[in-house]
Amino acid sequence: MRDRLFTVLSRVRGLFGRRRADEEFDTEIAQHLDLLTEEYVRRGLSPEDARLAARRSFGGIAQAQETQRELRGVPLVDTLWADVRYAFRTLRNAPGFTLVAVLTLALGIGVNTTLFSAFNAVALKPLPVADPGNVVRLERWFEPAMNGTIQYAFSYPEYLYFRDRSAAFAGTVASSWPLRVQGENEEFLAQTVSGNYFATLGIRAVLGRTFLPEEDSAPGAHPVVVLSHAFWERRYHQDPLVLGRTLMLNGSAFTIIGVAPENSPGTAVTPQPIDMWAPIAMQTELAPGSNWRDDPNYRQFILLARLAPAADGKRAQAEAGVLMRQFTASHRESDKTIALTLQRPTYLGNTEDIRFLMAVAALMLVVGLVWLIACANLANMLLARAAARQREIAVRLALGAGRGRIVRQLLTESTVLALLGGTAGLLLSGWCAKLLWLQIEETVLGRTTGAMGISLAPDLRVFGYTLLLALATGVIFGLSPALQFTKADLTTALKQEGATFGARLSRSRFRSLLVAGQVAASTLLLVTAGLLIRGMLRSRDVRPGFDASVYVLSADFARDTKKGAAIEQLVRDRLRSLPEVRGVAIGGVPMTGTWTPPVYAGGASARTLASYASPGYLSTLGIPLLRGRDFTALESQRGDPLAIVSKRTAEVLWPNSDPIGKRLQLDLHFDGALKEFAVIGVAADVRFANLSRVDPLHAYLNYDGSRLDPLLVKASPGALGAIRNEAATAALTRPQNVYASSLQDGPLRMQRVFARMFAQFAALLAILAITLAGIGIYGVMAYLVSRRVKEIGVLMALGADAGDVLRTVILQGLRPVIVGSVLGFAGAGALSAVLHSTLSFPGSSDLLYGLPWWDPVTFLGITLLLAAIAALASAVPARRALRVDPMVALRWE
Amino acid sequence: MATEESKSTILQGTLDLMVLTTLNSMGPLHGYGIARRIEQVSEDAIALNQGTIYAALLRLQQKHWISSSWGNSEHNRRAKFYAITATGRKHLESEAREWDRMASVMGKLLAAGRG
Repeated sequence: MRDRLFTVLSRVRGLFGRRRADEEFDTEIAQHLDLLTEEYVRRGLSPEDARLAARRSFGGIAQAQETQRELRGVPLVDTLWADVRYAFRTLRNAPGFTLVAVLTLALGIGVNTTLFSAFNAVALKPLPVADPGNVVRLERWFEPAMNGTIQYAFSYPEYLYFRDRSAAFAGTVASSWPLRVQGENEEFLAQTVSGNYFATLGIRAVLGRTFLPEEDSAPGAHPVVVLSHAFWERRYHQDPLVLGRTLMLNGSAFTIIGVAPENSPGTAVTPQPIDMWAPIAMQTELAPGSNWRDDPNYRQFILLARLAPAADGKRAQAEAGVLMRQFTASHRESDKTIALTLQRPTYLGNTEDIRFLMAVAALMLVVGLVWLIACANLANMLLARAAARQREIAVRLALGAGRGRIVRQLLTESTVLALLGGTAGLLLSGWCAKLLWLQIEETVLGRTTGAMGISLAPDLRVFGYTLLLALATGVIFGLSPALQFTKADLTTALKQEGATFGARLSRSRFRSLLVAGQVAASTLLLVTAGLLIRGMLRSRDVRPGFDASVYVLSADFARDTKKGAAIEQLVRDRLRSLPEVRGVAIGGVPMTGTWTPPVYAGGASARTLASYASPGYLSTLGIPLLRGRDFTALESQRGDPLAIVSKRTAEVLWPNSDPIGKRLQLDLHFDGALKEFAVIGVAADVRFANLSRVDPLHAYLNYDGSRLDPLLVKASPGALGAIRNEAATAALTRPQNVYASSLQDGPLRMQRVFARMFAQFAALLAILAITLAGIGIYGVMAYLVSRRVKEIGVLMALGADAGDVLRTVILQGLRPVIVGSVLGFAGAGALSAVLHSTLSFPGSSDLLYGLPWWDPVTFLGITLLLAAIAALASAVPARRALRVDPMVALRWE
Repeated sequence: MATEESKSTILQGTLDLMVLTTLNSMGPLHGYGIARRIEQVSEDAIALNQGTIYAALLRLQQKHWISSSWGNSEHNRRAKFYAITATGRKHLESEAREWDRMASVMGKLLAAGRG
């Protein structure tokens, strides 16, 4: 129906510029009347009569104008506009109500928008490159299809292959994983990039220039760097004369040629505060001792490509897949690549990973609860307001306004409120997102650098999300009050409101339901926060059971696992001879990931944590050997299938007999192939998987020298320099390539920080929730009291004393609070129990740090807190009830 | 709406057709010209509230059957001129066929009734 479409379109267009259209039409009418008058004059009438005749003949001018106007616009929109203006007027007349409602919604919506902004910034927003819609990140799938940063790793030969052969890519760029490089007296984080990196991505230097293609050709020929904006600020205080200066990196002089713009995140898939970029041709200087350029299995680079103007995504995808297959067929791959996909480059990689999405969804759910609480408040306030406006509504109904019309107008009002709240929430979330990000930076890096290059500015997606949320709020929670109060039968409503005793039972029941829901949701949040805070407090004092001052030494010993392991053992033996070293071993590092193969022993089967341990591992980590003996050097060399188990493991697998000499079978690769180990010792229980709890089962397996587990060194901090030097000498590399950090600065700190962050986050939401719920309880109590002034007056006149009145009012007011908190407690208990049940899996962490899931302190404490808040919220209205003067109340007609 | 004795009122929906056919035969005209023309052709048999013609003009414009533009009238006054479009002409043709068919059917039926 083309005609229809045209009509609709022109009507929509007609919504704008109506004043001009009106004026034009007026001119047209005037013309018409003039012509008509002239005609009548020609027929012989006097000018006066002619004008009158013309008027007659034309018909009603006002009607014609009105018809024009109606035809021109969309009637629905016109009335909507009128409703919006009316809504603004009424809201302005009730500033207190408006303020509280808008603030409430701002909090509820703001929290949600904050979370969405953060999600948007890391997972939806394209990287800040020119024309990001045409840029893709290459993602490969190894067999078995696994998620992880490994998916973004490509070798330099692979890069060249894509760069030179792809027709669908206008340009392909490579950037290496960030590198630690040694400055004169501090370490920097550098990234090597292909010469076309900045040019292809369209990132322009704010000062100086970026790389020229030839600067990335001959190895070692062009020692130039481009600084990151944050680094330029931090170290050079934005000195424009920095260009041309030299910077010593790993002992080589590099010339500074430019400064990258702010928010230039690099293209790493995990956030890293990059200090500077250098051409890949300078790799030997920046990462000495390795050669990234020739080995097709040495995957050091992340690849991005800009699609050619003519190429569409599908064709590019197909072509890239073919190129990948061709290339992998040309050599033996160390890991088999099964597929290649192109994805939109966002701040984080792997955002389509289901685990990431689940975590985001869980958070969304939690902040969604806060939103619901805010909405319940809005509905409650709208109800109270509609009740107060009952007469106004009734009058309008009586005067013939349609019910639909009035519902629409009330809905417009609640939507306007919600949109105001949404706008305020958006502003609020702008700050919150920034604070949240600073907190995360602080947590992850230990300092706020502003160098993580994330852009948190709200974009269309954030606006859209907030708009939808606000509209949903206004419509869903405004609908029920609007429907209820337009149903009113006219005669009762037109009479004085308070005259009817106990009327509108259903209405107060609805309000009670809202309050119960609010209280339930905030109880749930409060209990959760309480439990997390209790866990956090315990996390500070908990001892891991092993010596956390031990250093983890890591270095890129060799590409080949076998060769690397051999060098590593050489390093271990050399370190052992140092007098400062009190213990050195190779094996699993606590709290850096879990490996939980199925274990079978006798008739029992379970999942156990497992890790490898070289001779001396337990003593280095300070884990007491309770029974039996350690592995010997000879056994380690031979790779005998031996194991030392933790005390609890022994108790679970062999409850009534001596574990020494028993055998257990492990399904090491989760493929059903069992390997048998003989138990030679029992070690004390420790918190190996994470700080939150003692491992239920743990088997230390004999390290056979074929793996590249990290080196663990027990020594005082002062000996670190000597250790790194010695290790570097043994491994024929430089000391700066040997990284060392202690367990307590690394994984242990992270565990505590995360416990704290969780608790803070939960506490913040809980405080928000209980504040909103408190306002809700107050609102209902106040409403109840004001509705029942007359009833209270009668009660008092009949001889009821203050206690009776208080009891009546408070009991009725508190009933939904009690119902809601019982529901909330039940929900929180269930949630806690469910989380607790996941602990049957040995790798999972216990957020409560060993507290029972029904922790009485938390549950009792929250009960008291709720009671106090409910009492506080109802105290003011209750006092008002007590002050009711029977004489006044009875006359309150 | 029958205000004067022998003048017929306009059948619902026929005004649009009258305007279209007028514009088709006369070329671009302003509102007054169209109204005048309709009255002349009907030899003043139709009582036209001339103001109502503008509703029809707006409706037809919204359907893109006619277009309008400001121009100068014969007395060099600014006036809005209306002209039929290609789609309008097409619509007019099919509508006119329909009218002819209806008229002949009605004629036959009435003749048979009298006969």
